[in-house]
Amino acid sequence: MTVAVLEVDQLCKSFGGVHAIRNLSFSVAAGEILGLIGPNGSGKSTTVNALAGVFPVTSGTILLGGAHVQDLPEYERVSMGLARTFQTASAFSEFTVREQVALGGSVTLKSHPVSSIFGTGRHREETEALDARVRDILELTGLDSVANQTIGTISSAQQRFLMIATALSAGPRILLLDEPAAGLVSSERQMLSDMIKAIRDRGISVLVIEHHMALIMEVCDRIVVLNFGSKIAEGTPSEIRNNRAVIDAYLGEAV
Amino acid sequence: MTFSAKHLVYGAALIGFALLPQLITVKYYLHLSVLALVWVIAAQGQNLIQGYTGYVSIVQAGFMGIGAYSTTLLGLHYNLPVWLTILLAPVVSALFALCTGYPSLRVKGHYFAIVTLAFNLVIFIVLMNYSELTGGEAGITGIPKPGSKGGWLNFANREVYYYFVLIIAVLMTSLAGLIVRSRIGQALLAIRQNETLVGAIGIAAWKYKLFAFVAAAMYAGLAGALYAHYQSFINPDVFGLAQSLDAILAVIIGGSGTILGPVIGAFVVVFLPEYLRFADSFRLILYGLVLVLATIFMPRGIAGVTSDLWTRLTRRAA
Repeated sequence: MTVAVLEVDQLCKSFGGVHAIRNLSFSVAAGEILGLIGPNGSGKSTTVNALAGVFPVTSGTILLGGAHVQDLPEYERVSMGLARTFQTASAFSEFTVREQVALGGSVTLKSHPVSSIFGTGRHREETEALDARVRDILELTGLDSVANQTIGTISSAQQRFLMIATALSAGPRILLLDEPAAGLVSSERQMLSDMIKAIRDRGISVLVIEHHMALIMEVCDRIVVLNFGSKIAEGTPSEIRNNRAVIDAYLGEAV
Repeated sequence: MTFSAKHLVYGAALIGFALLPQLITVKYYLHLSVLALVWVIAAQGQNLIQGYTGYVSIVQAGFMGIGAYSTTLLGLHYNLPVWLTILLAPVVSALFALCTGYPSLRVKGHYFAIVTLAFNLVIFIVLMNYSELTGGEAGITGIPKPGSKGGWLNFANREVYYYFVLIIAVLMTSLAGLIVRSRIGQALLAIRQNETLVGAIGIAAWKYKLFAFVAAAMYAGLAGALYAHYQSFINPDVFGLAQSLDAILAVIIGGSGTILGPVIGAFVVVFLPEYLRFADSFRLILYGLVLVLATIFMPRGIAGVTSDLWTRLTRRAA
């Protein structure tokens, strides 16, 4: 197996007396698409939020590229290569699409922010390189046609893709997608699955939480199944589809 | 407004301000204009934290006070030249903001407003009661003007001081414009819109908020210093809560989150109370009423309304 980009070991998170995640361990390899599935309330979103650093974990470790990140604030994890999207569309509604993606990409700039006030030469060079990268990401996410539109005026599907574009602009090693297909129609879902594969082809690992099973089964290399905060199964899509515990807890007989 | 129209407005405003002393016949209005320009600087600072970052701070006058007393006391006790103390005053205010901003920016919205309000109260009480240093309520008189006696510019001349403050106000307004257009400005605007998302996309929001708060204090400190050397007299009365509210109003009425807004707003908060003098003892009630109505019917301020009108007119013409 190749080197793990993300390694989660014995992760626990409790809210008061509620154990949202118990002793969860899994890893995501470089260039791998890992699905995280399970019934409502099984701890999927808590896992993503804990990985991203929205709240501190109760115990356990999170290794990003071999470095411990469980005690770092959210923004530092992003600069170390972990970017995420949200379940509900979240954006800077007064910005244009391009402005938001560029702001996301600004975290990769080496020059000091103060140098951007006076527009030094180095800052200009960096910004030009960033502009090119932003264009490339907008194309990848199908947003190039609305690049100069205010975010408040684009469709909800485009707003979902914009979250992915913004996360990508930070130059992540791993991308966490929290229910990216929520509210998408089938043609948009197809775009999404192509997008996820294209992102993986660029060498970025993806961890995707999703209720839409067809999408999960199509894009994922491996799947981890949660129930009541614990891992009940892990394997390839075909293994998961035929796993008795998973069928009983979540999938049912129909799949 | 388009790019060129915006620059036309800036140019016209500059020419207007340059000619203003020649057009004013009543000396008192020139005096008010100097005060208004001092307030332009303070309001530009307030706009950075309030208008662009979305954190309403109620300590701008307190920071002006720190600047005013710093320049005065540094000159008085260490015999430093006026030019140097004017430059040191914003540094002292900024240092104070750095220490108070770090803990207070952890809270948002009304809580942040209340914490900064408390800072202003503390500053006021210290200025009032530490009378060995500050002269207490009686204040300090005889604050020297910049420049040497008999130098080629006489800063005791009101007109000279007007142009002096005008140049600094233009420079500080331009600096605010550069900040807003920079990466830092984008981050501040992002914080105003959705602070949670700012952290999630990898930007350390607290650093940018602290930057805006410290920059606001720096602007206030400079404004306070210019005020002290203009009036030659300071006491705590002009650095209280009421004046911090004036700074907030200047931003709201002029146009929150616009570059020209604080310029317009500063002149409104300085001149409007004067024009309402006819109402005598009802003056303050009327002032309050005008402000409330303006806030309700022009939430984007005078700059916002003018910009909308311009867009509508040009669209009709096209």
